[in-house]
Amino acid sequence: MKNDADCVCNLQYKLGKGSREKVQQFMTITGASEKVALQALKASDWHLEGAFDFFYSQPQISAANTRRLEEMYNKYKEPDADMIMVEGVSQLCNDLHVDPQDIVMLVISWHMKAATMCEFTRQEFIGGLQSIGVDSIEKLREKLPSLRAELKDDHKFREIYNFTFNWAREKGQKSLSLETAIGMWQLLFAERQWPLLDHWCEFLQVRHNKTISRDTWTQLLEFVKSIDPQLSNYDEEGAWPYLIDEFVEYLIENGFVQRKK
Amino acid sequence: MSGGGPPRKRNFKIEAFKHRVELDPKYAERTWKVLEHAIHEIYNHNASGLSFEELYRSAYNMVLHKYGEKLYDGLKNTMTWRLKEISKSIEAAQGGLFLEELNAKWMDHNKALQMIRDILMYMDRTYVPTSHRTPVHELGLNLWRDHIIHSPMIHSRLLDTLLDLIHRERMGEVINRGLMRSITKMLMDLGPAVYQDDFEKPFLEVSASFYSGESQEFIECCDCGNYLKKAERRLNEEMERVSHYLDAGSEAKITSVVEKEMIANHMHRLVHMENSGLVNMLIDDKYEDLGRMYALFRRVPDGLSTLRDVMTSYLRETGKQLVTDPERLKDPVEFVQRLLNEKDKHDKIISVAFGNDKTFQNALNSSFEYFINLNNRSPEFISLYVDDKLRKGLKGATEEDVEVILDKVMMLFRYLQEKDVFEKYYKQHLAKRLLSGKTVSDDAERSMIVKLKTECGYQFTSKLEGMFTDMKTSQDTMQDFYAKKAEELGDGPTLDVHILTTGSWPTQPSPPCNLPPEILTVCEKFRAYYLGTHSGRRLTWQTNMGTADIKATFGKGQKHELNVSTYQMCVLMLFNSADGLTYKEIEQATEIPASDLKRCLQSLACVKGKNVLRKEPMSKDISEDDTFYFNDKFTSKLVKVKIGTVVAQKESEPEKQETRQRVEEDRKPQIEAAIVRIMKSRRVLDHNSIVSEVTKQLQARFLPNPVVIKKRIESLIEREFLERDKVDRKLYRYLA
Repeated sequence: MKNDADCVCNLQYKLGKGSREKVQQFMTITGASEKVALQALKASDWHLEGAFDFFYSQPQISAANTRRLEEMYNKYKEPDADMIMVEGVSQLCNDLHVDPQDIVMLVISWHMKAATMCEFTRQEFIGGLQSIGVDSIEKLREKLPSLRAELKDDHKFREIYNFTFNWAREKGQKSLSLETAIGMWQLLFAERQWPLLDHWCEFLQVRHNKTISRDTWTQLLEFVKSIDPQLSNYDEEGAWPYLIDEFVEYLIENGFVQRKK
Repeated sequence: MSGGGPPRKRNFKIEAFKHRVELDPKYAERTWKVLEHAIHEIYNHNASGLSFEELYRSAYNMVLHKYGEKLYDGLKNTMTWRLKEISKSIEAAQGGLFLEELNAKWMDHNKALQMIRDILMYMDRTYVPTSHRTPVHELGLNLWRDHIIHSPMIHSRLLDTLLDLIHRERMGEVINRGLMRSITKMLMDLGPAVYQDDFEKPFLEVSASFYSGESQEFIECCDCGNYLKKAERRLNEEMERVSHYLDAGSEAKITSVVEKEMIANHMHRLVHMENSGLVNMLIDDKYEDLGRMYALFRRVPDGLSTLRDVMTSYLRETGKQLVTDPERLKDPVEFVQRLLNEKDKHDKIISVAFGNDKTFQNALNSSFEYFINLNNRSPEFISLYVDDKLRKGLKGATEEDVEVILDKVMMLFRYLQEKDVFEKYYKQHLAKRLLSGKTVSDDAERSMIVKLKTECGYQFTSKLEGMFTDMKTSQDTMQDFYAKKAEELGDGPTLDVHILTTGSWPTQPSPPCNLPPEILTVCEKFRAYYLGTHSGRRLTWQTNMGTADIKATFGKGQKHELNVSTYQMCVLMLFNSADGLTYKEIEQATEIPASDLKRCLQSLACVKGKNVLRKEPMSKDISEDDTFYFNDKFTSKLVKVKIGTVVAQKESEPEKQETRQRVEEDRKPQIEAAIVRIMKSRRVLDHNSIVSEVTKQLQARFLPNPVVIKKRIESLIEREFLERDKVDRKLYRYLA
């Protein structure tokens, strides 16, 4: 998954010399990050004056607030490492009055671009909260409903879904363990109501019993979105991953759906 | 020519008629009367009394003096009257004389017409064209047509007579063909329309119903072969009829009537006739009947395709039964021989009876390809067949014979879809042949390799060739070894080592076993020698593939030379220091794996004529509680006794599974390589196109399973060789 730096580099590549100067100027004057600078300039159609207006009219975090975020971070971080780990996350959830299994934590992790489940680096934590636009626990708590609502947006849901694969992986593994995958699917598709979810999980446990590849993960969402639960528009020549083809066979064999004539 | 004229000069001048001679009408009438009389005389066969010159002049004068019309009309009327008289006489003719009379009168009329035309030639050339009237000859024919042929009394009688005669001839009577010829020629002369309308069309109709009836009759009582004979005969008859007394243009028409009625209408019934149809002819090699059927069916639409389809489904059905019959599958060599025989049989039929028709050859090929691949052991069996031939079957055969047999086997090989499975087995069998030295002819072996190379390319055979090279090199190495180390070895056992390059030979896991000390010593000496000259290599003894010759002395002093496997040698050598050993002791001492040990002991103790060991208890099977004794009482008529065998055999079920698994494993990288090759050049391609391209690329070796291809694609996505397109999920992209 790409991180901020990559995004910005790509964008910078596309910027002309004049635009780049504006970005630099903006950053120097407001002390904001590059990302924020670009946001503001884009919103104002690359007029510096308009960008400043935009910036100051937003409830942006100022330099002072950065300190508050640092304090927050330090509250949760491990005593002997520069990371927030399981205990810290647990504490955070407590303070937010949410269950650690609550899907909103996934959304938050996505905003933070967290690399691994149950771990946040300083950069991730602070950058994430900035992007959400809060600098205290209370404000974050208030934001929870709107964060949950983001799952209803198709585009965002897809991003969060795809993000989940990398995030839920064991460190150093290429694929996702079956158990974790099933857990994640159950979490995600509770929001999206996929009728075949239970059959899918059952099928995997009975027939597959191995890890899930990235391709299978991403293609499953396409499958859920485009194929109806009676499989009436499932096309055998549709280049679906073989696991999905086998799932279809499984459904037909067990009489859960009718075979297409 | 003028009478008087100008005074005579030197040069003779002839001048035109200046003096106009007026013909008075009476003169015209008189002149006409002369001509009219002449016409009648001509018809009365009294032409000899006439003066041609005079008549010609008369006609000429009439035309000249503008009496052409009178002349023409007079001619027409006279002739018409004449013909009417003639028609009466024809009508009066009885029975068979009718045609003769008609013919005779026709001849007369023609002759008369000729003369009349000559007389009236001037009119024909001047008056007729200018007044757009029908020329004399043609007029004569038309009048004949109208007043004779189309006369109500004659018209139908003529047709009926002709058709009746033809019918009688068809029924076997002899008729007057010359007369018929004359009549039909007459009709043609009168105009093709007359021939067609007044004869040919009804003739074809009557023929159609005749043959329809006859064919129905035949088909009820004849078998296919005889029916076709009759049909052929009728066809030839009609063609002959046409050549004798019908117009040539009728040939195609009448033959197509016969073809339709006798063949096309009964095509399916004939082909499928029980006990005599196409299938029976094929089974019984009825070349003549088949040839006839082919020639006849070729004439009708869909004839050949019907034959082809029936033949194809028969071949497929028979072939399918052959390859799925468990009885037949017991002996692989017999099985393949049977296939070859079937191929030969049908090749001969196609060449002798079907004129080497390529479409039939293709049908044969596709049928064979279909059923040979129904049995997934076919590749193994074909390799076993070749093994058998190269081992002993070709003993005494000439070089040509060898080539013929191997070429035929190659034909079967071409039909295989899983050529890579064949390769695996061929390697195994070849290895056994080479190592046991049991090949009939080195040339035959090489020839087979060349054929495989021509068919499949260098890669297919490079490893096989490597095996031959190893054998040769080993020979040289052994010579060198003994030359250099002869003194060191002294009286020890003689060693013959084959050094196999690991990549070329079929991989056999080599479980270790304990060699007897004498052997071990000489083996170590060899190892030291070899590694001395070839550094950086590793040698592993393949104790499961070797053989040994042992000299043994039995109770009464009989000496025999035993040819055994390496395992058997290890076991036997133990009895140099003990008379009896339990199974467990043997196992411990030799460390031979259990299943191999049991097999080995079985052949040493339980086979009549080869029981150099005695087993207690005397049961048939080897159990772990058995005890073995050296069999002092062993006898054999032969001095040299062969006990060990490393012969290629049909694999057992578990072995078969293993081989197939290995083949599947080997296929995976080949499929991946093909995918990468294709994507590298195409960059972006959709799923179905990849599958079909891969199949095309690999079909020379095997038919890849689309599901396996899909899995390989996913594996390549995992390893980031490919990715799915972001917009169209069916499209894949090559990642550089």
